[in-house]
Amino acid sequence: MQLAKLKVGSKGHVSHFTDNCMACKLLSMGILPGTQIEMVRSAPFGGGCYIKADNLLIALRKSEACIIMVR
Amino acid sequence: MKPAPSPAPEPKIALIGNPNSGKTSIFNQLTGLQQKVGNFPGVTVDKKTGTLDLPGGTRAKLIDLPGAYSFYPTSKDEKLVVQSLVQPGNENYPDAIVYIADVTKLEKHLLLFSQLKDLGIPVLLALNMADVAEQEGLQYDLEKLGRKLGAPTLLVSGRTGEGLEQLKQLLVDLLAQVPAMSVPIDSTQYRLAPEEAKLITQVQGDFPGYTPYQLVLLAHHIKWLPFLTPTQKQVIEQAIENTGFQDLQLQVYETMQRYDQFTPIVQQARDKDGQGSASFTERLDDLLTNRFFGPVVFFGLMLMIFHALFTWAELPMNFIEGIFGGLNTFLQNNLPEHWLTDLLTEGIVTGLSGVVVFVPQIAILFFLISLLEEVGYMARAAFMFDRIMQFFGLNGRSVVALISGGACAIPAIMSTRTISNWKERLITILVTPFISCSARIPVYTVLIGFVVPPTKVGFVSLQALAFMGLYLLGIAAALLAALVFKLILRTNETSYLMLELPAYRLPVMRNVWLTVWEKVKTFTFEAGRIILIISMVLWLMSSFGPPGAIKRAEEVARRSAQLKNLDETATQDLIDAQVMEASFAGQLGKFIEPAIRPLGFDWKIGIALITSFAAREVFVATMATIYSIGHQDDEYSIREKMAKQRDPITKELIYSPATSLSLLLFYVFAMQCMSTIAVVKRETKSWKWPLIQFAFMTGLAYLSSWLAYMWLS
Repeated sequence: MQLAKLKVGSKGHVSHFTDNCMACKLLSMGILPGTQIEMVRSAPFGGGCYIKADNLLIALRKSEACIIMVR
Repeated sequence: MKPAPSPAPEPKIALIGNPNSGKTSIFNQLTGLQQKVGNFPGVTVDKKTGTLDLPGGTRAKLIDLPGAYSFYPTSKDEKLVVQSLVQPGNENYPDAIVYIADVTKLEKHLLLFSQLKDLGIPVLLALNMADVAEQEGLQYDLEKLGRKLGAPTLLVSGRTGEGLEQLKQLLVDLLAQVPAMSVPIDSTQYRLAPEEAKLITQVQGDFPGYTPYQLVLLAHHIKWLPFLTPTQKQVIEQAIENTGFQDLQLQVYETMQRYDQFTPIVQQARDKDGQGSASFTERLDDLLTNRFFGPVVFFGLMLMIFHALFTWAELPMNFIEGIFGGLNTFLQNNLPEHWLTDLLTEGIVTGLSGVVVFVPQIAILFFLISLLEEVGYMARAAFMFDRIMQFFGLNGRSVVALISGGACAIPAIMSTRTISNWKERLITILVTPFISCSARIPVYTVLIGFVVPPTKVGFVSLQALAFMGLYLLGIAAALLAALVFKLILRTNETSYLMLELPAYRLPVMRNVWLTVWEKVKTFTFEAGRIILIISMVLWLMSSFGPPGAIKRAEEVARRSAQLKNLDETATQDLIDAQVMEASFAGQLGKFIEPAIRPLGFDWKIGIALITSFAAREVFVATMATIYSIGHQDDEYSIREKMAKQRDPITKELIYSPATSLSLLLFYVFAMQCMSTIAVVKRETKSWKWPLIQFAFMTGLAYLSSWLAYMWLS
């Protein structure tokens, strides 16, 4: 399932990415397959989301959250 | 290409680390005021260098490279890091590297370190935020970590300064080993993919002095690396084709391999887990990034900044103007009456005053902004406004620049440095001057009464509404122009948000003060130079005229003053008016009259438009001089005088509603501020952008004034 579809407050583990280009940047920030991600909240005015990956807090656009597949 | 002879007179040490690793704090601790901000050649990325005094009397040059996550860059800043490190012999190629990692996020911060290890440059691993780790009870076996990672490792704190003496000592030891270590290594930290290995063997012969990993990086970044010769490029391109080298796939492969290599090392060396302090940050963010309260708090903070820019800056600004005014009077009274005296007082001193007067606003804005940046709040603002601003081709951080533009465009434009995407930053710079700044207020005040009657509708005065309308018009113009630029400007930089939200921390005040100091310094010495030159040109234009013209104008004025029996002040006012008319500025005003006639402007307004270039509020003073009431230039008496002006031929009112509205619109849209032009030049590193900005803003002003005048007259 896409990370963007994860409900606020629920958690998942990264299984894979669907876009190599964006995946590279996510990987370099430390979001790897197997990393636990919690959807903390969605952004004001819609669009982005605020996630917690291990002990990192990260803001993502919707398009960026859509390429992360979680289970 | 051979590596540069290593032991240069001053060893170069690069400070490298992820964004949010606290690199800047360490840099500031190590160099203090001994730092310089320059530019990397060809790009507008700050290059901070400083002098580092090492024990034993060695002096080293410390280069603060931009924060980066890996050698696969997504912004100009990150590209610079790659560019400086993949080419032995590059002017920024360091003799040694200090790598800064946040000890509380060590597993996430070692990717770039692992890549650096493969360059063959001696590296020191400094684990920052020792103070936080201690509070949280986090402990590492440093000896084990250092041994397994293959670099001297120590704990430091950019906040308290802990560990920095040890860091300097380790640097001395490291530099002593440099000659032995500068022989390029022939292995990598991870197992090379077959394609990579093949590629390396194929191109190695053409790149002596390069490490295998540097060759891999050349292949990844062949499209943009600027220093490769055509032959070198060809060799690599050929090898890419022969080996089936897949850029993205191999990037992912390499990254994963590296994580697999160092993650177990980090875990094994961790003696004690920390009690995460993230919960405080998360609870605060429940409010500060809340869908409803987040923006409310943000606008509250912005209102505070705005208020501070207006009110806190007023006193020092008046003080500065007072000092320079006093200096002028003193010089005029004590120096012989000569044009050189006038040049000194009205040209140079007034010009200097025009530079220094911006310092309070710049200092206040950067004090508050860097405070918010230091505590970690700015990233939240970027996150909250990303969506809206993206629509206009701007960045979440642009909101801060646009709002500060309401006080003054100069500090606002300077504040765009934190926007890492070049296109978003450029658009922010280009549209910010549309926001009505405080210098437009006196002009609006004088003119609005000629357009809108002082009546009230219910509780609200129509003039106040019109005032607000002018502000809104500026905002609308800024956003629309941004939208247009978003469609026109081309870039091959992909825009990302993917923003790390750092934990909230108390600000390190040293960092705040250094930012303020650096911004004030750059403005005064770089933009200030241009402002001083333009203000001297403006002075020359308004005090000199064609040969004899000024003298004649003075005599004519004196004679007619005698005929009318005017007192001394009134005589001087009349002389000033006539001299202004005879000067080059006056001539130019008359010369451009045909061009501004369609907007309803006469040559007197033309002069004011020209002199307004020094600063928009000069409009008021120029009007006072032209209408020979120079000695009482308060807004009220100028308004009275202007209201009575009639066209000498048609006898119609000059400041008819049509002309006045047209003039108001002109002041809303036109680029009439030399200081803004100077700052845009400095921030974009070329005359191209300020000229484009001048052309489209003034073009829009002309068009809208013309339409308004046509419609009303």
